[in-house]
Amino acid sequence: MAYLLQRLLTEAAARQPQRPAVASGDCLLTYQELDQLSNKVARALLRLGVAPGDRVGILAPKSAAAVVGLYGALKAGACYVPLDPKAPAGRLSHIARDSGAAVIVADEARTSQAATLAGTVPWPADVMVMGVPGRPRSQEAARVPAQGAATVPWTAVTGESGEPLAEERAIETDLAYILYTSGSTGTPKGVMISHRNSLTFVDWAAAAAGLGEQDRVCSPAPLHFDLSVFDIFAACRAAACLTVLPEGAATFPVSIARWLEAERVSVWYSVPSVLTLLACYGNLQQWDLSGLRTVIFAGEVFPPKHLARLIAELPHPRYLNWYGPTETNVVTAFEVPTGWADAQPVPIGKACANTEVFAVTSEGRRVSRPGEEGELYVRGPSLMRGYWRQRAKTSRALVRNPFQEECDELVYRTGDLVTLELDGNYAYLGRRDSMVKIRGYRVELGEVEATLHRHPGIREAAVLPVPDELLGSRLRAVVTADGSNLTREDVLDHCRRWLPGYMVPDIVEFREEMPRTSTGKVDRAGLAHEQNTLEPTGDGFRNKR
Amino acid sequence: METVINDYISRELVPDAALLPLANDTSLLDSGILDSLSLLRLVVFLEERFGVTMGDADLLPENFVSVNAICAYLRAREPRKEAARG
Repeated sequence: MAYLLQRLLTEAAARQPQRPAVASGDCLLTYQELDQLSNKVARALLRLGVAPGDRVGILAPKSAAAVVGLYGALKAGACYVPLDPKAPAGRLSHIARDSGAAVIVADEARTSQAATLAGTVPWPADVMVMGVPGRPRSQEAARVPAQGAATVPWTAVTGESGEPLAEERAIETDLAYILYTSGSTGTPKGVMISHRNSLTFVDWAAAAAGLGEQDRVCSPAPLHFDLSVFDIFAACRAAACLTVLPEGAATFPVSIARWLEAERVSVWYSVPSVLTLLACYGNLQQWDLSGLRTVIFAGEVFPPKHLARLIAELPHPRYLNWYGPTETNVVTAFEVPTGWADAQPVPIGKACANTEVFAVTSEGRRVSRPGEEGELYVRGPSLMRGYWRQRAKTSRALVRNPFQEECDELVYRTGDLVTLELDGNYAYLGRRDSMVKIRGYRVELGEVEATLHRHPGIREAAVLPVPDELLGSRLRAVVTADGSNLTREDVLDHCRRWLPGYMVPDIVEFREEMPRTSTGKVDRAGLAHEQNTLEPTGDGFRNKR
Repeated sequence: METVINDYISRELVPDAALLPLANDTSLLDSGILDSLSLLRLVVFLEERFGVTMGDADLLPENFVSVNAICAYLRAREPRKEAARG
């Protein structure tokens, strides 16, 4: 039988047709409704000519409409590409063009954004507008973006049959989705994940979190962030309810806590920084969060003192630390022991089921003794197919297994440095390269630098991370300019046109000359050293004294 | 104080120039100017600029709904410090 993500939905709908599948704002979809609606979307996509392997962009925040749309894309045999509505237009256009999106599925509120975006690709990309199931919706048609392209209103979608499609249009090694992530050479790169890659994680994750049909699962991660694979697919595998944190509730920690109580969320999965905010500002003891039984965090190191505070405020849930780059899905896990109050960050743990991890020392030996350090490698069926249209980049990340002489096998080099602990757990030490994490998002400093270089007034730029307890890192840009009239605002405006908010530098410093090492390279170590004698202010740095 | 805070938000946090100029009674929540990331940056700025420390009783939507609300909240909290700094 085909091992496909959309089968999770058809099976849940057959088993539990009336159980809630998605709770999002005022909208509640049962498994039967989600299944039938996504069949309609699939049929409407096929009517537009979507063929197996085509890419379908999803321009919407996490919502019932988005979930219907992405399952519809999968059922049509396509692979979905999340398009973050908050990303700058230039970045979105790059992703739409690079992925070759045939159709852009947008929620009603993003109709005109989708039409504009479709107009920036050189082929006639169609736009499909998703209504909100169960609520009145406007009949307003969107502007037709490009000659020959169609705009499919929601009424046309709901007019399709909701019966199951006659046959599957994909096999398990086909792509299910492409997630774009920061690329070191200046443009985002698309991580290709097949159905098999994703299901390897989903099967493990549903079991590891002990998901059942009574669960109400929430991850605040948007669709383009791989954490969302958990609440979209692992919850579905268990016929649990995906509960969507409303955008308006996500800003303030107390609003999140109030919402968790009201929605009786039982399983939470996020980056540590959101949990840090909840621990520090959520006033957690004021809320009845007794229904919250499992808290999972991933994406960055959880500062130990904030984790200890969270556990002290909220002692009853299980706490799980999951680790894995987008390219591999989650590959290691660690359950935080009861009463944990260590001063060290929790380890990333041991390999997940059906996955092997190992570390390789700088001399090329396999780490086997506690205390040894090395770069973490991953092998198993959860590894990405590669980077979309980037063969050279793919071959640097997916390499031959250095310890497998007899036959070729590809393993993924994570770039993460780890050490083996006495109990067999791996502990994260840092990066081998210049990637940093900001609120769990990967940021390649090279991408920010390349963006700065694109500004005609900037001669040179270096971007350095400034450690920050709450954010993970803040970014400091050191630039030299041609002429003296370039202002900090000019630099920030330029960055905001191309980069998502978390990649825009906080601090911009102008220099006459870039400091250099004796070999003529930018003196990053020297620039980083300066940071030790500076302390951050709201809009720059001041001397510590 | 209104000017200082409005300047900071306009310069650092407004994601889209179409939202400028920012009125002191514009909702920072409905307009999408404040999200969890920009809220944190604003808190760091306010703490440093006005010498206050914010705890879990302070980070409430009603204190941050607009520039005016932020100022009212800061004045209620730190009346003397505000007077001293002008």
